[in-house]
Amino acid sequence: MKKLILASALSLCSFGALAEVAVIVNPSNANALDAETIKKIYLGKAKSFDNGNKVNPATQNGTAIADEFNSKVVGKSSSQLNAYWSKLVFTGKGTPPEKFDSDQAVIDFVAANGDSIGYIDSSKATDKVKVIATF
Amino acid sequence: MKKLSVAVAVCAVLASSYASAEVRINGFASIVGGKSLDSDQTLYGYDDDISFKNESKFALQLSADLQEKLTATAQIIARGEDDFDATFEWAYVTYEYSDELQFSAGKMRVPFYKYSDFLDVGYAYRWVRPPRSVYGIPFSTYEGLSVVYNNQLGDWDSTLQGFYGAFDGDIDVFGDSLPAELNNLGGINWSLSYDWFSARAAYIVADTSISIDSSDSSNLSALNGIIDVLNTNGLTSTVNDLITDEDETTFVGIGFSIDYDNFLFDAEYTQFEVEGSILAEQSQYYASAGYRIDDVIVHFTYEKNDDKHDSSRFNTLESIPLLNTTVNFALESMRAESNVYTIGARYDFHPSAAFKIDFSRFDDDITDTETDIVAVGVDLVF
Repeated sequence: MKKLILASALSLCSFGALAEVAVIVNPSNANALDAETIKKIYLGKAKSFDNGNKVNPATQNGTAIADEFNSKVVGKSSSQLNAYWSKLVFTGKGTPPEKFDSDQAVIDFVAANGDSIGYIDSSKATDKVKVIATF
Repeated sequence: MKKLSVAVAVCAVLASSYASAEVRINGFASIVGGKSLDSDQTLYGYDDDISFKNESKFALQLSADLQEKLTATAQIIARGEDDFDATFEWAYVTYEYSDELQFSAGKMRVPFYKYSDFLDVGYAYRWVRPPRSVYGIPFSTYEGLSVVYNNQLGDWDSTLQGFYGAFDGDIDVFGDSLPAELNNLGGINWSLSYDWFSARAAYIVADTSISIDSSDSSNLSALNGIIDVLNTNGLTSTVNDLITDEDETTFVGIGFSIDYDNFLFDAEYTQFEVEGSILAEQSQYYASAGYRIDDVIVHFTYEKNDDKHDSSRFNTLESIPLLNTTVNFALESMRAESNVYTIGARYDFHPSAAFKIDFSRFDDDITDTETDIVAVGVDLVF
C-alpha cells in the first residue's frame, strides 16, 4: 500500500525523473504505431495491426512502470483502467492484455510472440525486442 | 428448464474445451453491509438490523476461445439475497465475425440501461448500487440473440446493438414473486462516445404476461376478486385492461455521461409501459455528479420515480358506480411517486478493490414517509 502511494506520488510530480517507458514489439514486427493507436490497443478499441494480424498485448501487474504507462499513454490511473476493463470483461466485450510481473517477463513474452506488444522501463530494453516509442 | 439447458450447453462447451483451448477465469465480489436508520421501515431489502447478506455477491466467469473467432462464456453468481445459491447469470457463445461485428447467442443481459451489462460488477461504478429508481425493472436477463456493431464515426466511437429473444421466469411485482413471460423481447440501443463524453439511447419492446392466478398475497386476492366480479358481469374488456396477458410493452431509455478532468456526471431517463394492464406507466430519472480527488470519488445523486395510469384509464364503468369505484381504486393503488437523495464516496485503496459508503434518503410522496439507509461495502475484481 505504502509502495503504491509512493509510486503514484512519484509519477504525478516527476515526468522524466522516473524511468522512461519504452513500448516494445517483436523484432519481426514491421508495423508502425503512433501514441493514439497504442492507447487504443490498451483500451481494447484497436484489435489488429495494420497488416491485419491480431494484436496480443502484454501489460504489467501493479508495477511502477505500469502506473507510469497507464497515466502517460492511456491517460487513466491503474484503478480507473481496471474498472474500465472490468466493464468489458464481464460483458464479453473484450479480453484484457495479459498481465506480467516484471520487465523481463514482458521482454520474454514479446520476444516469443510475433504479434505481441508490451511496455518496459526503457533502460531494460534488449536486442530481443524492438522499441517503437518512448514516453 | 429452458434456462437451465442454455447454461448446461455452454458449460458442456466450456468443459469440452479444457483440452484444446485456454480457459480464462475472472471474478468479482461485493461485500456490502447496510441498515435502515428507521426502525419501522425497510428499503432495498434492509431493515434496522444490520445485514451483510442482502447486497453481497460473489461471481466467477469462465471463458474459452474455442477456435479462432468463437468464444464461450459463462458467469455464475451467488447472491446473498438468494442465500448465496449459485445461478448462471450469463451463458453464451460469441462469434466474432470481424473487429467491428460480433454475434452472440445464449443467456445474456437485457440492455435496458447504461450500466445494465455490468449491473452486478460494483467495481465498475461509483455507487454501492446503481440508482434503483431507474434500475428498477424486476428482471435483467433474456435468452436469445444479440448483434453488436462497433465502428468509428469521425472521432466518435459508436456501438450499435440489436437483440431478440424471450424471458421466462419469476419476477418480483405487486409485492410477490410471480411467474412471467416476455415474448418477442427485442430492441436496439446505440452508444456514442468521444473521449470524456458518452451518450446512449435504447428502445425495447415485448409482449408481457404475468400470472396472478396462483398468488395468495392479499393485494392480489383483492385484484383476483375484482376480476371475478367483472367476468361474472361479462365485462371482459375491463378484465383485459387489468390482467397482464401478452400486453404490448415498450421501454425507452436515454442518458449521457461526462468524465472530464476530475468531474463526473451521469444522467438517465427511462419510460416503461405495459399497455392495457394493471401495471402503471412508469417514468423515472436520475442525475448524479461526482468529483475525483486522487483515489477518492465523492458523489451526490438525485432520483425521481413516477408511476401512474393515464386519466383515460379511469371511470370506464360509470354506468355501474360500485364497480367503477372499485376499478378506479385498483388502478390508483398502482400509483407511486418517490424521490431519493444519495451522498457517498468511493476509495480505490487497492488497484483491484474499492471501498464504498453510501447514505440514501428515500421520500415516498404517496405515503409521505421518509426512509434513511446507510451501506458500506468493498467491491473487488480478480
